[in-house]
Amino acid sequence: MGASGSHPAVFAPVGGAGRVDAVVRRLSDAIALGLLADGEQLPSEAELAARLGVSTVTLREALMALRQQGLVETRRGRGGGSFVRTPSEPPELGARLRAFTVDELRDLGDHYAAIAGAAARLAALRALPGDIAPLRRTLDAMARARAAAAETGAAAGAGAAGGPGAAADHGAVLRRLDGRFHIEVAAASQSARLTQEEIRLQADIGPLLWLPYDEPGRHDEATAQHRAIAEAIRRADPDLAATWPNSMCSTRSNGSSSCGCGSADG
Amino acid sequence: MPQPPTPVPPTAATAPVGRAVSRIGETVRGVFTVLDEVRARTAALARARRPLTRGDLAALRPLLFRHLGGLIAGIGFIAAPGLLADAPWYLEWWQDDPSGPPVQLLRDLDPASSAFYDYTHWEWYAGPSEGAERTICGPYVDYLCTDEYSLTLSVPVTAGGAFVGVAAADVFVRRFEGAVVPVLREVPVPAFVISAAGRVVASNTARWIGGSVFRGEAGFAVHPCDGLPLSVVAASAASPLRS
Repeated sequence: MGASGSHPAVFAPVGGAGRVDAVVRRLSDAIALGLLADGEQLPSEAELAARLGVSTVTLREALMALRQQGLVETRRGRGGGSFVRTPSEPPELGARLRAFTVDELRDLGDHYAAIAGAAARLAALRALPGDIAPLRRTLDAMARARAAAAETGAAAGAGAAGGPGAAADHGAVLRRLDGRFHIEVAAASQSARLTQEEIRLQADIGPLLWLPYDEPGRHDEATAQHRAIAEAIRRADPDLAATWPNSMCSTRSNGSSSCGCGSADG
Repeated sequence: MPQPPTPVPPTAATAPVGRAVSRIGETVRGVFTVLDEVRARTAALARARRPLTRGDLAALRPLLFRHLGGLIAGIGFIAAPGLLADAPWYLEWWQDDPSGPPVQLLRDLDPASSAFYDYTHWEWYAGPSEGAERTICGPYVDYLCTDEYSLTLSVPVTAGGAFVGVAAADVFVRRFEGAVVPVLREVPVPAFVISAAGRVVASNTARWIGGSVFRGEAGFAVHPCDGLPLSVVAASAASPLRS
């Protein structure tokens, strides 16, 4: 049933070197995406370490880093534990982006396009009206967030209340909805594994995937692509549905890599 | 010289299809009978204590625990938003853990803090809240809770004529398959179970595999399971291959 959660994908084992960083990134992105809700209690240290496939020492180090970022709060004693804190400010992405080479970004884009493309294709073949309804709700929520962002931007331009802080909040809402949209598309494929992989990728690199669109001028572009995906799924057009994630990924990896290179050069 | 397949008259499959319909119906009705019990117990609590709190719902636990396991992977009561005095959104929801006691995943259900947790949109909630007596949601990928391909069965709970929430149970598709595929295999023609929306839940043929959609097809007859939003679809005439 889809409402209370043990987050199997979010807490799936992290691989490779730099495990402390990987755990920090997985959990901070899941928090940014809204997969872990504000105030939600994390599993016990022993359980979480086991599920993420890291030692408790690694986990403790990661939790300490998350506490320093204000994303996790630990309370002692009865009713204690580690709790999620949703940040009011979005995490610093530029630093993460600069850590990737162009080749790595291209590879991330390839992997993401394979998963999202396969999911969209199957969704177009299998979706029923009940699977399309959540996509529409998310698109409507994005339209509202976009309108609010535009309003805030105009107000800030006119020197009224709002300002860059409020605009960043709307941006964070849009990014969260973008992640939710892609997870809902994956769920419409009826494949639990593709959905888990989409969630894992959103939690790992979701903010990076969104980055090229993360300015008010490009929100319309993202929305047009989302509508095209939803429409291709509704029309049961698997080829069309599957092309969108590919084109989005090339936009995304172009955007990300140009952004990354610019930062590296500068 | 190869013999053409002998056509089997449609009546040959009718008896096994009828048996499959009634046995699959029984399996599913068994879960709804449990939900009727959860509903009655919850309604009694809601009538006895006003306003109801989260703590009051703990009285449901012995009943919920008794029914966890087997087909039922998760079970509980989902409160209508605003019902409880001490939480706007709440689930008294327990999951089966084969390696230990049942697990309740406590969560701060605040739709404002996350895009995901407004449960009123989900069919297992929307169906009963809009008056459906028996809802079967899915099969769907339950990406918020178990990561399993699941069915959620639900019924409305009312107290004093007012809707107060939903009694629901999760059934993993793989376990449902385990329960009904042996019955489907006794049907000598391609046969499968579909949801009210036409999603295939379990099947005796690879051509109509779980997760695909049946949009009606010549040569197939739909046999509703009495009183349930579920049907068995079977080829009207025997086909030589289950393909």
